[in-house]
Amino acid sequence: MSITASALPDTAAVPPAPQGGAAARRGPVIPLRYVVGRLVGAAVSMLAVVFTGFFLFRVVPGDPVRSLTRGRAMTNAQLATLRHQFGIDKPLISQFGDYTSRIVRGDLGTSYQYKTSVSSLIGSHVWATVYLVGTATLISAFLGLRIGVRSAWRNGSRSDRANTGIALVLWSMPTFWLALIMIMVFSVGFGPIPGMFPTGGMSSPNVHGLFPVIWDHFRHLVLPCLTLVAVLYAQYLLTMRATLLEEVGSDYLTTARAKGLREDDVRRKHAVPNSMLPAVTLVFLNLGTAVSGSILAETIFSWPGLGSLFYEALTVPDQPLLEGLFIFFSAAVIVMNLLAELLYPILDPRVRTS
Amino acid sequence: MPFPNPRRRAFALAAALAGAAVLSAPAAAASGPAQARGAHSQSAYSQADPTAVSSSGKTLTVGVTSTIDSLSPFLAQRALPTQIHRLMYDFLTNYDPTDDHPIGALATSWTTSADKLTWTYTIRDGMKWSDGQPVTAADAAWTYNLMMTNPDAATANGNFVANFAKVTATGNQLVITLKQPQSTMLALDVPIVPEHIWAGHVKDIGTFNNDTQFPVVGDGPFILTGYQKDQYLTLDANPNYWRGKPAFDHLVFKFYKDADSEVEALKKGEVDFVDGLTPAQYESLKGQSNIVTNDAPGKRFYALAVNPGATTTTGQPFGDGSPALQNQQFRQALMYAIDTKTLVTKTLGGYGTTGSGYIPPVFSTYHWSPDPSSAYTYDPAKANQMLDAAGFKKGSDGMRTMPDGKPLNLRLMGETNRPDDTQDATYVAEFLKAVGIATTTTLVDQGKLGDTEVAGNFDLAFDSWTANPDPDAVLSIQTCATRPSAPGKSAATDDFLCDKNFDALYAKQITEYDPATRASDVKQMEQVLYTDAYINVLYYPDVLEAYRSDVIGSWDKQPQPKGVYWGQDGYWSFWSAKPAAASAASGSSSKSSSSSTGLIVGVVVVVVVVLGGGLVLMRRRRTASAEERE
Amino acid sequence: MIADFRRRRAGMVGLGFLVLTALVALAAPLFISANDLSAAFAPGLPRRAPSGHFLLGTDAYGRSMVDVTIWGARISLTVGVLATLLAVGIGALVGVVAGHFGGWTDTVLMRVTDWFLVLPVLVLATALASVLTPGVGTVVVAIGVTAWPTTARVVRAQTLSVESRPYIERAKALGGGHWHVMRVHILPNVMPLMLAQATLTVSAAILTEATLAFLGLSDPTKVSWGTTLQLARSVGAFSAGEWWILMPPGVAIVLVALAFTLVGRALEQVLNPRLQERM
Repeated sequence: MSITASALPDTAAVPPAPQGGAAARRGPVIPLRYVVGRLVGAAVSMLAVVFTGFFLFRVVPGDPVRSLTRGRAMTNAQLATLRHQFGIDKPLISQFGDYTSRIVRGDLGTSYQYKTSVSSLIGSHVWATVYLVGTATLISAFLGLRIGVRSAWRNGSRSDRANTGIALVLWSMPTFWLALIMIMVFSVGFGPIPGMFPTGGMSSPNVHGLFPVIWDHFRHLVLPCLTLVAVLYAQYLLTMRATLLEEVGSDYLTTARAKGLREDDVRRKHAVPNSMLPAVTLVFLNLGTAVSGSILAETIFSWPGLGSLFYEALTVPDQPLLEGLFIFFSAAVIVMNLLAELLYPILDPRVRTS
Repeated sequence: MPFPNPRRRAFALAAALAGAAVLSAPAAAASGPAQARGAHSQSAYSQADPTAVSSSGKTLTVGVTSTIDSLSPFLAQRALPTQIHRLMYDFLTNYDPTDDHPIGALATSWTTSADKLTWTYTIRDGMKWSDGQPVTAADAAWTYNLMMTNPDAATANGNFVANFAKVTATGNQLVITLKQPQSTMLALDVPIVPEHIWAGHVKDIGTFNNDTQFPVVGDGPFILTGYQKDQYLTLDANPNYWRGKPAFDHLVFKFYKDADSEVEALKKGEVDFVDGLTPAQYESLKGQSNIVTNDAPGKRFYALAVNPGATTTTGQPFGDGSPALQNQQFRQALMYAIDTKTLVTKTLGGYGTTGSGYIPPVFSTYHWSPDPSSAYTYDPAKANQMLDAAGFKKGSDGMRTMPDGKPLNLRLMGETNRPDDTQDATYVAEFLKAVGIATTTTLVDQGKLGDTEVAGNFDLAFDSWTANPDPDAVLSIQTCATRPSAPGKSAATDDFLCDKNFDALYAKQITEYDPATRASDVKQMEQVLYTDAYINVLYYPDVLEAYRSDVIGSWDKQPQPKGVYWGQDGYWSFWSAKPAAASAASGSSSKSSSSSTGLIVGVVVVVVVVLGGGLVLMRRRRTASAEERE
Repeated sequence: MIADFRRRRAGMVGLGFLVLTALVALAAPLFISANDLSAAFAPGLPRRAPSGHFLLGTDAYGRSMVDVTIWGARISLTVGVLATLLAVGIGALVGVVAGHFGGWTDTVLMRVTDWFLVLPVLVLATALASVLTPGVGTVVVAIGVTAWPTTARVVRAQTLSVESRPYIERAKALGGGHWHVMRVHILPNVMPLMLAQATLTVSAAILTEATLAFLGLSDPTKVSWGTTLQLARSVGAFSAGEWWILMPPGVAIVLVALAFTLVGRALEQVLNPRLQERM
């Protein structure tokens, strides 16, 4: 499921060619103006994110001091000390001053609840997320593109319809629901299916030795990864299928066929490489959003990544941590977008050759 | 990337799976640096200290859904780390497992001076920290002094030392001098830390989380040996613990974000104990093989709080609570109109007790119940009569108005993430409607509910507190002094209560050193609260727990005979837990072998499905290509 | 064009299913009374397995799962459709204005769009939903405000292509104001695209509604598919193996989201001539 709420990628949502495409046509070198423009754009986005991050989470209701001390008999003096420690006894404008001067120095602040620097919290949780999301993206891209090519080539066939149908059904599933069903069926066992995978977490304590540790990690990875693959691969499949369909009717393919090339070769040597790029670009673009998109899967599978960290921070609200994660999530997308935008004109063979 | 021979599809799938396996390797390695920074992995510490830890022996694994904010006893606010500190450090005193009365721990005996201001504790002889250093009265004095002088160190438990004037240690004597007499001196729930370790952390006490060096030096029944945030926390039995070494060699806490997966983990044997079950989960676990369920009276009350007209400590009114609620008869009528029995049977599924006094019945020493003649038993006729008498007349539509004729509509607030609230709100609204009182229910998230309550902008709200063996803390939150210092500032409570009689009794019980007299003072306070009808206890929910009987043979509840395993005041359950006889032979290995059998079966199933699917696809593919190439 | 659509079987199946669902949802008050949905005075015992009386069993309050699932369609569909109207409305406005005026307006608007595309949507929606008063309206706003950028981009691209057509030049030369050109010439041309975009957005909106409700950010007193699943989770129905509480709302979400997607894709194929040749 796309919690990113963007419409299902299809013909219309093929990554747009950069506006600098016209300029790029002059030669393989990307004009400096284009590069600078993109860099400035990314910087502006980043600046806007930093500002939004602050105000968005200051208007989120809830008093962190109250929720952290909930259920404990605290003296008013203790509460005042906490408020002072967090710096939330100051007026909003001077809190904003503190925030910006911190961010400028590259300091994301200290988490209210964990009393640890936000950057070290992100640092210690980011690998779990990259590991899960990275694996899921690789597999879903591989599956999606592969099936997408086949589907487009056999457009309208029974296998095309079956594949597209399955992908659409999986794409329509709420991630959290699919995740819980996965646990019910494959973790606990349901009917004749034995419960073969752990219910949550990334690894077990008390596992020693290289091979057992790898095996243990792999077992923990299977269910969350499968869940993400199930909801992610549809968009790669559909994008690949759509771009290739556009390609299939092209004149040069007809020429290639006329030259007597085998159908497989036409596909492999001409059509697929040309339609690969938009899909690969999409993989890049999605990688950024997938980081924040795994919040639900991480929560349900108790995966110790950034998503769980965010979910916990929200209930407090642990503002420095929320701001830090928000900036991090957004920066991930900005950087991936930038990479895609910069790489696209270099790699697209049509842009280069025409 | 060209795709060569279509027949290699099965290989491609296999390659994808292999890729996943390969990817898990770098991640296993990648988590290395993170561990090196803070928590060491199990293997890291076992290399560091082979004598203290080995992977052999019996392990008890506990599933938890809450989080650890800090492992520093000076900073930790949440319930889970507070419980873990009980296992890591001995406190001055402890609570008896049978009936919660205070007993010695670090202190073996104590005396008080005639003016009630000086308490002298004798510290147990021969106790050692896990690094071999002796545990002394000086350690205790140092711990308390740090909290008294350093505001950062007072973050978590400052309230316990707020009334201390001076703390000194001479030999094995710890002397605490108080500003005012204080009857809670045997209920100081403050972990005592080793000075020789912590003296080096005073500078950064506000940010030091006690998770950089494992094993953590302690003197409790268990030694903290490792912590991976959001993954697991490991403890080992302290072989030299003065009360005796626990029978389980290892204690592991596994963190879950989702209560359902935690319960599934219990069914599978990935964890051996879970608490906080819902009635549905409890009933599904009941009667399953190798699982024992426990339904125990809880320490929590669940109440309908009435906005008494919010005021600050200086008496400045704020907020917009309905003036109707200032009328005592009106408030009491509300309670006659609500059928708490229905709430217990429907909302709690029967797992709970209907409300009476402020202190839950599990603390029998302090619990108070009204005599039947004055109890708010469900009686809509009486409620109607009282409301009529108080001047809240029914209109033509059957709904009541204020005595001055203005419309009456109470705002009932609840929390979205507390499932009880949704159901109770519906019931309460229906019950009140039946006696002609209109309500508007608003369910919001915890943060927003807090903001609304802090601002005093509510009429009725659901509220829940957990009591301790010593009733002082939970009583103190209803005194005038705990109101906020300024309008809209958060305080320890949002009940805004201020009753002079209650405060006078509160002051009396805190200076009363005779347990029986103090208990009767406390009961009087409960009676005041009951008659005031500002905090109306609807019920006390039970605690539902379950454990695996193939791992845990026996362990102690607190209190007895009907008590809890988790959330005890003390460490009794984990300290007393004995491994099950059947598992004594093979221990946890039988569990892992059975799960790997399941795994092998699973892998076989997956392989068969993949291969079968691949064959079908390939065959279909051939026919499909034939069709297409026509 | 309609005939074209009718030839697409998947689209027609989706449309038929949606019409049926909408009819059932509209007619629900005729056969489901307030008491059937009351948590306090529910007709059955809590969490009972399917039986002759309750075909799909009962939920945590003792309400019939059949009633709850049917009633849930009302909120879920309403939220899905309203959120989409909002999202597509904002998206179309931004897209048309940016594409028509070009220059600085375009740069600024597209910058804002890009910026919204960058923001983590679930995070943003979560924050919005917790700021505003809980309820159906809030969820609509939270989804609407976060889902528009895709539409804005697509509509802008289409506007640019329409703008380059000769008759727009003519209209401008004849003194047609911006408003006139946008309303009379551009809007009708981007309308079909908006429609396709909208149907695709609805399924995303329905999924997001379920997600927000599941995270406890919706009004739990309103019966929707999301709140039903959230309730099921909070009482522990998943680990109790009470599949009859989990399957109906989940399957309903999948079917409706799928139906909208199928209709959207069919519309797109009808509207995109290049795809059409190939299908």
